[in-house]
Formats: sequence, C-alpha cells, structure tokens
Amino acid sequence: MATRGGVIQTAWGPVARSRGRRWRGAGTALRTIASALIALVFFAPILWWVTAAFKPSQEILKAPPSLTWEPTLNWFRVVLGNQDPTSFNVEQSGGVGRGSGGGTFYSIPYLRDSLIVGLGSTLLVLALTAPAAYALSRFRMRRRQDLVFWVLSQRMLPPIVVAFPLYTMYRQLNWVDTYHGLILVHAAINIPLATLLLMSFFNEVPRELDEAAMLDGLSRFGAFWRVVLQYTRGGLAATAILTFVFSWNEFLLSLVLTEVDIRTVPVASSTFTTAFFVEWGYLAALGTASIVPIFVFILFVQRHLVRGLTLGAVK
Amino acid sequence: MRETTDQRDKLAITRAIEAHRRGAISRRTMLKILGAAGVGLASYPRRGAAARQATPAAVAIEQPQEVTQFLTDVGGQFRGSTIRVVSEETPPSRAIINLKQQLFEEITGITVEWEVIPLAQVLSRVSQDAASGTGTNDIYYLDQAWVGRFINDTLDPRELLQSKPDLAFPNYNFDDFLPQLVRHIASYGDKVIGPPCDVPVFMHFYRRDLYEQLGLQPATTLQQYMDNAKAINDEFAVAQGTYGTVGQMQSGHYALNCEMTAWLWGHGGSIFTADQQCALGDAQAIAGIDYLRQLQQYMPSAVTTYDWGGQATAIQQGQGGQVITWGEDLPGWDDPASSRVSGLMEPAPLPAPVALRPPEQCGFEETPEIGHQGGSTYSLSRYSENQDPAWVFLQWATSSNTQTLASVIGGGASPMRQSTFDDPRVAAMATVGAGTTRHFPAMLEVITSRMGTEPHLPQWPNIATDIIAVELGKLTTGGYNNSTQEFAQAVTGMVNEAASG
Amino acid sequence: MANVDVAGPSRHARPQGAWAPVTRVTRRFLTWDRPLVWLLPVVLVLLFIGVYPLAYNLYNSFREYNVVDFPRRYDWVGLDNWRKLFTDGRVRGALGTTAVYVGAALVIEFVLGLAIAVLLNSGPKLAGLWQSLLILPIVVPPTVVGVMFTVLENAEYGVISWLTYELGLLDKSEPLLGGTGRYAKVAVLLPDIWQWTPFFVLILLAGLKALPEEPLEAAQVDGASAWQRFVHITLPMLRPMLAVAVLFRLVDLLKVFDYIFVMTQGGPGRATEVLSLYTYSRTFQEIQWGYGSTLGLAILVVAIVLANVYIRVFRVEWD
Repeated sequence: MATRGGVIQTAWGPVARSRGRRWRGAGTALRTIASALIALVFFAPILWWVTAAFKPSQEILKAPPSLTWEPTLNWFRVVLGNQDPTSFNVEQSGGVGRGSGGGTFYSIPYLRDSLIVGLGSTLLVLALTAPAAYALSRFRMRRRQDLVFWVLSQRMLPPIVVAFPLYTMYRQLNWVDTYHGLILVHAAINIPLATLLLMSFFNEVPRELDEAAMLDGLSRFGAFWRVVLQYTRGGLAATAILTFVFSWNEFLLSLVLTEVDIRTVPVASSTFTTAFFVEWGYLAALGTASIVPIFVFILFVQRHLVRGLTLGAVK
Repeated sequence: MRETTDQRDKLAITRAIEAHRRGAISRRTMLKILGAAGVGLASYPRRGAAARQATPAAVAIEQPQEVTQFLTDVGGQFRGSTIRVVSEETPPSRAIINLKQQLFEEITGITVEWEVIPLAQVLSRVSQDAASGTGTNDIYYLDQAWVGRFINDTLDPRELLQSKPDLAFPNYNFDDFLPQLVRHIASYGDKVIGPPCDVPVFMHFYRRDLYEQLGLQPATTLQQYMDNAKAINDEFAVAQGTYGTVGQMQSGHYALNCEMTAWLWGHGGSIFTADQQCALGDAQAIAGIDYLRQLQQYMPSAVTTYDWGGQATAIQQGQGGQVITWGEDLPGWDDPASSRVSGLMEPAPLPAPVALRPPEQCGFEETPEIGHQGGSTYSLSRYSENQDPAWVFLQWATSSNTQTLASVIGGGASPMRQSTFDDPRVAAMATVGAGTTRHFPAMLEVITSRMGTEPHLPQWPNIATDIIAVELGKLTTGGYNNSTQEFAQAVTGMVNEAASG
Repeated sequence: MANVDVAGPSRHARPQGAWAPVTRVTRRFLTWDRPLVWLLPVVLVLLFIGVYPLAYNLYNSFREYNVVDFPRRYDWVGLDNWRKLFTDGRVRGALGTTAVYVGAALVIEFVLGLAIAVLLNSGPKLAGLWQSLLILPIVVPPTVVGVMFTVLENAEYGVISWLTYELGLLDKSEPLLGGTGRYAKVAVLLPDIWQWTPFFVLILLAGLKALPEEPLEAAQVDGASAWQRFVHITLPMLRPMLAVAVLFRLVDLLKVFDYIFVMTQGGPGRATEVLSLYTYSRTFQEIQWGYGSTLGLAILVVAIVLANVYIRVFRVEWD
C-alpha cells in the first residue's frame, strides 16, 4: 500500500476510463435507476410518516394512502409553535377534548435536549476514541486483542439491566436529570463502536506515513493529528454519524436517567402514546421535525464521507 | 361551589361553549363571553420545566376562595419544598399537570415535579422505592392490579385525614368518592391505598347507524350480543370492513386478560374460588372463554395484536359495529377531527350476565361482573420525606373542584366523586364532541351496580400478564390444539403454582 | 508493513505545552509515546460507567427480591438463579427465537447492505442524494419505528399489508401482523432490516471509499473480471470494516427489544419472545430483579461467546 489515487474508484463494475462511452452511459443510467429505486424503498416509510404530519387525523390511517388531502399545519403549530391544541379542538370539534394536555406536545425543548446530548456525546466520543484507536492501531502492546475485546464487551450488557444500577449510582452523584450525566452515558455506549471503527480506518493508513511525518519533525501526536486524521476523514464522518444517531435514538437509559428537566425526543415520543390513543399527528410532526436536524448533520458530515480519503491523498 | 356568582359564571361559560358548538355563536363571541366570565386564555408566567405546559383554554381554571385560602395559609408553610410524583400518561393525570402550576404551585410555593412515564416504569419505580425503603418519589400512580402488592408501602388517606387535622383540606369529604371505587380500586383488606384517581370501566357501545339500518336493538343478553355481532359482521365485514365487534386481544398484553374477564364473569365464572384455587377450569369459565372465541370470529384478524389502544383506534376507524370496552374511549370516538364514527357510538346498559358468581364464592376480593374496571389511585409513599406538603398536594389533586376540572379538560376522563358527576360544568359537556361526557350517566350506572373487579393478591400482576394473557394468547391464535379444555387445564396449574409461590 | 517500535525515549518533539510544568519522572512517564496516555481516558470512562452495573448485576444474580412479604426484603438464593437458567423452558425458547432473529437479520442486512454499498460506489448519478435518503432510516428512534411498522403492517389500514394483498402474497385472514401469528417473526424482522441495512451501507461505503485503487487497476490490467476483482480484491480489503460492522450488529441484535416489545409483546404466545424481551418481562413486569440480572448476564455471556467464535472463525485481528 502506498499512495492513493485522486479518482473515486469503482471496486465493482467497469472502470470508467477503459470502456466505451456508450456502454458507460447505459451502465450509469442503469445504476442510477437501481440506486434510485432502492433509495425509494427505504425512504418510502419515512415519506409516509412525513406526509402524515401534514394530514388531518382522519387521513392518516389509510391504505392505500390518500394522495390528495387538505394539508394542515396544526400538528406543527403545536409541536414547534407551542400553540395550544385545545384551540383547534374548540374550533374543529366544538369541545376541548383530547390533547388538552397541551404544552406537553410542544417539542422544541425535547429537540434541544436531544441535540445537546447528541452533539455533546459525539464530540466526547471522538475526542476520547480517536487517540485510543490510534494507540491500538499503532503501538505494540501486550494483550492488545484482549483490550479491544474488553472495550467491545462494554456494549454487550442489555440496557434493561444497566439502567437500574446506573440510576442508583447517578442518584448518589446527583447526576440524574443532568446533561453531563446523560452525555457521559451516551458516550460510554458509543465508545466501543467508535473505537473499533476508527481503529479499522487507522489500520488502513500505512504506517510509513506516520514515520515519514515524524522524520519530518512532527511529534507522534502531530503525526496523528496532521496526517492520520486527515487521511481518515471519511471514517471519522461515518463514526460521527453513527455515534450521533445512536445517541439521538437511545431510549431506555434516557428514560431512566432523566426526570423532569431533560427529556429527549424518543422519551417524549413515548408519552405521545397515551393509554388509549396514539397521537399520530403530533408523533408524525415531531418525527419529521427530528429528522431534519439529523439530516442536516448527515449532509454536513457526509461531504467528508463522499470524498473519502481522496482529499487527504491530494494533500 | 357554594358561591352563587361562581356558579352563575360557570353556567354562562358552559352555555357559551354549548352555543358555539351548535354553531349559534362564533368562536370570537364565545371567547368574549368566556372572558367576561373571568376565563383566562391568557398565559401565565412560565419557567423551568413548567414552560412545557400551556394553559388549557375555554374552561374556567379557578377554585373556591376557601381552597386558595387554605393553600396560602397551610400549603404556604411548606414554601420552597419540592415533591415528586410519578404517573402514567392518562387523561386525568395530564389535566392535573396542567392545573397544578396556576392553582397549586404559585399559591403554595411548593414545587411539584411530576414525571410521566410508561406504566411498567411506574411499577419499577415504586418497586425500587419499596425495596430500598427510600422516598425518592412522594406520590405514586398505582394501578388497581397492584393494590395487594403495595398496600403496606403507602399511607391510608383516611388515617391521614384523622392524624393530620392541621392539614385537612376544606370540605375534602372522603365520603364523596363513590364507595364502590374506594372499595374495589383502593382497598385491600381493611386498608385504603390512596384516593382513587381514574376509573376506566367496561361499557357497552353500539353503532347507532348500523343498528338502525339492520333494525337491531342494543343487546340485553349475551346471546343477543353475539347475534348482533354476527348480523353486523355478515352484512358489513366484507362490504365495508366493519366487523361485528373488535377486541383487545394482544397475546401477552394485560388487555387480553381484561377482555377475557368480562366474558368469564358474565358466564358465572371467576379466576379464583373462595379457597383461593384457580377456577379457570370449571364449566362456567370454559363457557366464558368459549364465548370470547366465538366472538373472535366476528372481529378483524388484526385483533390478536391489538391492545386497548389498537382496539380504540380500530373502532375510531369504523371497524366495529359494537363493543364492550373501556368507557374512556368514547371521547376519542366522538372527536370529529380524528374519528370516522363521531356521534355514532351510543352507550347502552351492559347486557345481563348468563350467571354471576357472588363475591363470597371467589378469592382475593374478586368481584365478578361484566363491567371490568381498571382504576388507579394516587398514593402517598410511606417512605416519603416530604409527607406533609405531599399530603397537601394529594388532597388538592383529588379534591372535588380539581377532579371536576380534570374531568372536563381531561377530555371526558372518568370522575371519581359524586359531586363531579353532579357538577354543571360536567353536564354541559354531555354532547357529541371531543371532550364529551355524555356517557357519564351510563358509566355511573356501571360503577354503582355492574362493576367487576379482579382478584388482588400480590402476585396478581404476574398472573394476569405473564400467565393468563400469554397462554390465552396461544389459544386464540390456534395454540392448545384449539381446545379450551386443554388451555384451561394448563393454565389452572400455572396460576395455582404462581399464587401459592 | 513494518511495525514502528516506539518503546524507549522519543526522538521526536512532543506537542508544545502539553505537559509543561511536570517533574522529570512524570515527564518521562507521560509522553505521547506511551500507549497508556492515549488509552487512559477511554478506559477511565468505561470503568466509571461499566464497573458498577456489572458488579451490581453479579451481586443481584445471587439473590431475589421478594415482592410479596412485608417488610420488604431480598432473599439470598445462592446459585438458584443460575440453575434456573438451565431448566427454564422460556430461556430455551427465547434462545431459539433470538437465534432465528439474529441469524436472519444478520444475513439479510449483510448481503443487502454490501450489495447496496457496492452499487452506490459504482458511480451512479446523484450518489450523494441516494446515500442520504438511504441512511435516513437509522435516524428514527427504534421505539418510533416499532409504532410506525405497527401501523404499516396493520391488517386493515396498513400500507405494507395492503401491498401484500395487492401482490397476492397474503390475505386478510392471515395477515403479516395478527391472525394466528404465522408471520409474526417476519413482521418484527421487517423494521430491523429496514432500519439497520443502512448501517452496513454506511460503514461499507466509507470502507469502499478508503480502498486504494492500485490493486484493482493492476488486476484489471491482468484481465480479471469484475466479479473476480470484487471477490479477490475488494472483499478481502473490506474485511476489517465488514468485521466491525458484523460484530456490532451481532452484539446489538442479541439485545434486540424495541420492535418486538411495541409490535407483539413477544406473542402470540411466546413466538417472538427474544432473550432481552424475556429479561424485560422478568425485570419490569414480574419484578424478579435477581433473575432479571441473571438473564441480562446470560445475554452478556452469549454475546462474549459468539463474538469470540466469530473472531476465531473469521480470524479477525485488530492489527
């Protein structure tokens, strides 16, 4: 392994330069259509969910799904705008009715809490695991395999039995219902994946590069920071996305370790399912609203993912 | 409600809402009248976690002067203290959460941290407190199924009323709670676990339009109920996806146990005999379970994954011609915004049972009747370190005025007190609409004379869910060779083992 | 590939000011050339969060909480909980169900994920867009996914069920979700496949992007077919990524819970009861905390064994 090329390599299928133009065009079209179809299949349930957020209640539960309907923004007005849902009820139903819990559907605070915990734990995880993964990738040490396995094993105990003792411990520390408490736990559950992933990515970077950098006068940390990390931006991006997503989605620990001050999106969503009815409209609106920030985050980070290592190589 | 001006205002308000609902006056006019009657749509100062709650509109958020006085004088002594409540997300709980800041916290200076979590989590929180003997939480929302288990971990409200005269809420009147609810939801042995706060109870509802179309009458016997289910199913199941009835038959879910008990009890069966042996194997029990299985033929195939929420939604979608289920579902079905059957589901008296086993012949305080109740209480923890302020709050939350407001703004949630049933604000909501209270008279009827209650031994939660709901779930999905006998034999052994262990 | 032996005093400058005011001894000890310095923060965090829950559960597995008696107490039960593990029919059933679920999910997600990653990497137009749309399923909280699929698979108003009727695959009397539960396992597998295939896509795509192209070009010059290049060059080079992705899905799948809890509660009967659902039931519904802890530890043991087997069989080495 020496240097890397500057062209996105197709590991499978025709290498563009070597084939005829027409064949290449047809192949690309075919691959594009196939990609679009697959993306559509995976996107369809989300599309259904997003459209539900704009539908009046009666239109939501229908198969085949209704394609034309009078769009409503009421769900969003409540979920994002803190409008009192009882005002709609009085208007539309002539009664105060369900949903009069009102403000509990207002979700900006939930989104904010999820964002703080998600970003906080992602940053913490990257800051902690990148050096660790580098050490595991580069240093010669006894029982490395065991150490790696120990890190991995931290993810094996189901949260169902972890939640109890953690709650007890956090009570003692007065960390229940705090951002730093939840961030630390979310970081801990993501450390194994992040460590192993980054280690695999670092392993792909030839050691000669570190050596060359250090011969050029960089410290070991400098070689790691200026060289290795640059080469593994795609890996860092993928790791960041996954860490953020796992934190964003985490339910049980967030439920148990928070009480009234902090409430993440999955925990809040669970309260939209009342004893008797699921509040589809509010749930869909919150779901849609919560996909947006994470989608933006992915788009932002994915820039690095798509370009992968090529950037580092050019540099 | 002794001040006449108060009452006059309330009537003005209810009339205005009513007029608006009929379309007689515009929303703006209604709001103007409400404003004149002192109903604030104005928001109040918000801070911290409470900022997530908004003011419920269009109902007078107020309480008698003497209550405010009491909260100021007595509650004020505990200014600065914080009490913690854990509860499930239910309509009355949600309503009280919305009321507490304006009507309690701002007056007393006591902070109430109210945590809403899934019911299973409530159980685990209570169990944790009980196991460690620590008062992490002060007030619990306890399901009636747990009453036998936690009776010793809580304080009897009647004793508290006696032992803390200084903290006695004005006109709290514990006897105002319907005695049937106190006995069946809140009592075990001669102790009371806490004031009742919620009572979903099985009621009989039918689709008025379909019944008219087919010339059916609401059933007065179980046989007729079955015949009606068949008639509707034959006519509408294929044609428009409306089945005879719907069920809450998700395997392994407590709902299935509730579904079963109504038919079991209605055929003279019971879960336990007087000598505390499982009675699911006797002829009456088999007849009851067979009845359920026969009824299942007139339900959509999806019922085997429906809990009560799935069932309520199915009715809302117009999938059922009749049903015997929780009365609290009606406000959701009546809501024209989300329901396709608004105004079409009519309450009717429960059909007569084929036979009824007297409670004396059953074990563990079980009371057979078709009107299965699934009530709950708010209970003061014996381990609470803030007993006094928590007790003040508990009295306020379960007082007549607060309960009435909760019934109205909670979307037709069930009342606990006779005075709530009698309140004009409640009566004013008795028309078709999202928060309807039009089923309350029928509900009162069920509570006072047709209510069935599960056995309350401490092991009951496990038996109901992990044995009965699972094994019956197998039977209703083709297990046990489709033999009720085989099922009954197996389950009897399991229940007896669990009850003695 | 030569190992850089970094033991001994460093020849290279350390970053400025990182350990400025330290004594000679610690300075020699805390240098960037010591792996400990790089690893310590992670190890501390994992110890801090991990040790107590593990110890607590171990301790708990030798006792049982008594829900009935008052005053409240724990009974010391010695090895009873561990013995029960081997005689409990529900454990065996749950183990079998877990095996089926994990096996099916892993194979399907792996194959689909690899295929999709390769396709997306083969230069379709708008690759970034397809990729972003594909990744979206993993951002929906699993509890919400469970609720979504409960609706989508509803026999009466579910879009997926409707499609199965339209395509003539199933009919209403025995739908995906409901009826006698014949397809219950498929019903609870669908959300997992939908949500976690993108996980493979994401990791493998990052891996594919990182591949050097020289070996592929060389092979092409040597006349290797696309398939040969894929099998003999791309796949082996992707192995480290694949190893991590499969290992993590394995570990996570052994704990799978949300979809099944929301959609079937493990039913009908116990047809979809997996190990973690059983653990939940004992812990939260039956309040048998001792046995619940034992079951949780059993999942840990199963995961350790399977992960070790996997690492041995596929000769995964972390260097």
